[in-house]
Amino acid sequence: MRYDVTTDPIDPRELEAIVSHPGAGAICTFSGIVRDNSRGQSVTHLDYEAYAEMAVPQMKKIGQEIKDRWPEARVAMAHRTGHLEIGEVSVVVSVSCPHRAEAFEACRWGIDRLKDSVPIWKKEHAADGTFWIEGSEAKPAR
Amino acid sequence: MAVAIAVKARYLARLRELAGVETEVMHVSIGSTLGDLYDAARLRHSALPERGSVRGAINLEFEDWEARVSDGDEVAFIPPVSGGLR
Repeated sequence: MRYDVTTDPIDPRELEAIVSHPGAGAICTFSGIVRDNSRGQSVTHLDYEAYAEMAVPQMKKIGQEIKDRWPEARVAMAHRTGHLEIGEVSVVVSVSCPHRAEAFEACRWGIDRLKDSVPIWKKEHAADGTFWIEGSEAKPAR
Repeated sequence: MAVAIAVKARYLARLRELAGVETEVMHVSIGSTLGDLYDAARLRHSALPERGSVRGAINLEFEDWEARVSDGDEVAFIPPVSGGLR
């Protein structure tokens, strides 16, 4: 199991190795990547900030939710913080299950819940300024 | 004023920028709720937004605004998380 918030680059293959085992016929991995555009503007880079003491327990809680729904699932999650360039991996959720249907579903559950409830924020540095992204809203940073 | 309790308040992300402080100790009366604490924070830091989409946490767990705080608690005020389009 791995649930962490880190300033180091994240390798999705490392999380897959953690959830991999001989009974797992399917591994589904979501990788979030820093995109070069947002709201119709070009983006130069991002800064991610976490309330780490709370973010990691929240991630574990989501891992438990997945195990409650898909008892055979194994889960690993990692989120990057700090300065990220275009193309870098910001977040990874990897889930293994015996078969692909539940692997897809459990992985999607994991990333959707993470985006809803784990206290991590994105500050977007774009052509038109610097913004905090709060849900679907972009609010000017100071 | 009734006997006061001391609570450590933490402002995250944009709320930290608006408050101009990351953490501070607040003294509130016994029986105060998370919502009372946020109201007191807004009196101190007028740039903080109304409760609206802000969430509160006590000792690393999300709680309702009606939840009571205790002496020594760490309270966090949390703006909407990054979310993003599905």
